[in-house]
Amino acid sequence: MKGSRAGRGIHYGCTALLLALTLFPFYLLLISSGKDKGQLIRHFWTPVAPFHWEHYGIALKQLWPFLLHSVWITLCLILCVLINGLTAGYAFARFQFAGKGLLFAVVMSLVLIPGFLLLIPQFMLFRSLGLLNTLSAQFLGPMAGASSLAVLLIRTFFEGIPRSLTDAAAVEGAGELRILTQIMLPLSLPVVAAVSVMNALLGWNNYVWPLVVTSGDRAKPVILGLSSLTGPMDSILGIQMAGYVLASVPLLLLFLFSTKAFVHGMTSGAVKA
Amino acid sequence: MKPTVSGKTKQSGTRPGSAGLSRKLMPYGFLIPIFASMGIFKFYPLAIALLKSFYEWNGANLNRWTGLTHYKALASDPTFHIALRNMAVLTGAYALIQLVMPLAGALLVYHLRGRRLRALCQTAFLLPMVVPSVIVYLLWRWIYASNGVINTLLGSLGWDSLKHAWLGESSTALASVLFVGFPWVGGVSFLLFLAGLTAIPTELYEAARLEGAGRWRRLTQLELPLLKGSLGLVLLLAVIHQVQSFENVLVLTNGGPGFATMTPALYLYKKGFEYNDFGYASAIGVVLFAGLLIFTLLTQRFMRNTEGSE
Repeated sequence: MKGSRAGRGIHYGCTALLLALTLFPFYLLLISSGKDKGQLIRHFWTPVAPFHWEHYGIALKQLWPFLLHSVWITLCLILCVLINGLTAGYAFARFQFAGKGLLFAVVMSLVLIPGFLLLIPQFMLFRSLGLLNTLSAQFLGPMAGASSLAVLLIRTFFEGIPRSLTDAAAVEGAGELRILTQIMLPLSLPVVAAVSVMNALLGWNNYVWPLVVTSGDRAKPVILGLSSLTGPMDSILGIQMAGYVLASVPLLLLFLFSTKAFVHGMTSGAVKA
Repeated sequence: MKPTVSGKTKQSGTRPGSAGLSRKLMPYGFLIPIFASMGIFKFYPLAIALLKSFYEWNGANLNRWTGLTHYKALASDPTFHIALRNMAVLTGAYALIQLVMPLAGALLVYHLRGRRLRALCQTAFLLPMVVPSVIVYLLWRWIYASNGVINTLLGSLGWDSLKHAWLGESSTALASVLFVGFPWVGGVSFLLFLAGLTAIPTELYEAARLEGAGRWRRLTQLELPLLKGSLGLVLLLAVIHQVQSFENVLVLTNGGPGFATMTPALYLYKKGFEYNDFGYASAIGVVLFAGLLIFTLLTQRFMRNTEGSE
C-alpha cells in the first residue's frame, strides 16, 4: 500500500466513528437505566453515581411473567420448526419420489407470502379455534412460515452427509426414523444451531402477531409487556430503560455464545431465499 | 437455483415383503408435519385472504359478496395514495442507504489487519441487530422526544431554534422514521456484503496489490463487480422488508401526524383491527402482495440474467 500510514489512519478512524455511532444509543440506554429524573437532566451524557439498581428490580418484578411467556413461546417455535425442518429435510435429501421437485417448490414458495396478507385470516382462524390469548397461538402462527428456510438449510446439509453412513445403517435394518434421529441429527448440530438461533430471534422479537392475538396479561410476551411498565414519576424513564435492557439480555447472551451459528443462519438464509 | 438431485437409486436394505410399498410411501410420511402445518396456517389463510377481498366482511355478522367494489374504492382512496407515496419514499431511500452504509462498514471491517480485531468489530456492529427491533424503535422514540436525546444535544449546543417535535410534525416525521437506526451499518446487509467479500479469491487481491492498485481502484475494478450478486440481493431484501414491515411506523408514530407516515401495510392493519373492515383490508393486502410478487420475480430474473444462476 502506498501512502499507507495516512490511509490506515483514515481507515481506523472511520471504523471507530461508525462503531461509536452504532453503539451510542445503546450506551445511552444503559447509563440512563440507572438514573432518576434529576440525574437525567443534570448529567445527560455521562454515567453518574449513584446508579439506581432498584430500577432493574422494579422492572423485573413487573416483567418476569412475560419473560417466562417469551421463553416458552420461543422454545416451542424452535421445536416446531425443527420438527418440520428435520422431517421434510430428510425426505427431500434421502428419497427419490414422485412429485419431489414440485413439493419442494411449494414449500419454498411460501417464503413469498408476506405476513401482512395472512394477518387477518390467521387471526380469524385462531379465533375460531378458541386460541386467542394463548401462548400456543403465538408460536403456531409464525411456525409454518419459518419452516421453509429451515427445510432448505437442513436439506442442503443432509445432502452433504455421506450416503455410506445411512446406507450402512439401513443394511443393519435400522428404520428411517432411527436413522434420522440417531445418525443424521447428531451430525447436523451446526445447522440445527443456525436454525434455532434464527428462530429464537423470530420468536422473541415478534410484535405485531402477539399484538393481534393477545389482550390482557394472560399470555403477553415481554415485548408487549414493556409498554405497560409503571413506577414512580421521577424514576419511570429509568425503569422503562431497565426493562428494555432486561428484554434484550437473553438474546444478547445467546448471540455472544453462538455468533458463528447466528451469522451462518442469517447469511445462508438470505442468500438462498 | 435448481436443487441438485443425487441421481443414485438406493439399494434398500429393508426386509422383503411389504417393504416395497412402505418404502414408496415413506418420504410422504416424513412430509406430513410440514404440509399439515403449512396447509392449516398458510394455505388456508391465504385462500381466505384472497377470497374475502371480494366481500364486505366485519369478521362477525356482516359477510356479503361485493365483487370488485373494494378494489375500485382503493383506486380512488386518497389515504391509500398517500400511503403508497410514503412507501415509495421510504423504500427508495432505505434501499439506497442499505446499498451504501453496510457496504462501507463491511469494507472497513474486512480490510482491518488482524483476525481478532476483525471478529471483534464484526460482533460489535451486529449487536444492535440482536436487540429486539421494537426496543430499538422505543429507544428512538425517546431519542426524538421533546426532552429527548436530539433536542438535549441541540440545547447544549445553544441551537434551541432547531428543536423539533421530530415525530409529531408532518414536515419532519417521515424523515425521522427513515433516520432510525443511523448509521445503518449492522444487520443482514452488512453480513451479506461481508460474506461476498470473503468469497473473493485471495489471488485476485494479490494480483491487484502487485499491480499497485490503490484502495479506490481495488474497490471499483475488483470488489464492486464481484459483489454484484450481493448488491442485488441486498436491494431485493431491503425493498421486501420496507414494504412488508410496519412495526416501525406502528411504534414510532402510528401513521401520524395526520397520514404523514402512513404506509399501505399499516393501513391494512388499521382498517382491519381498528375499523373491523376486514374485506377492505384484505383487498389492500392482495394489491400489495401482487406488487411485491411482481417486483420479486422481476428482480430475480434480472439477477439471473446478469449473473448466470448460482
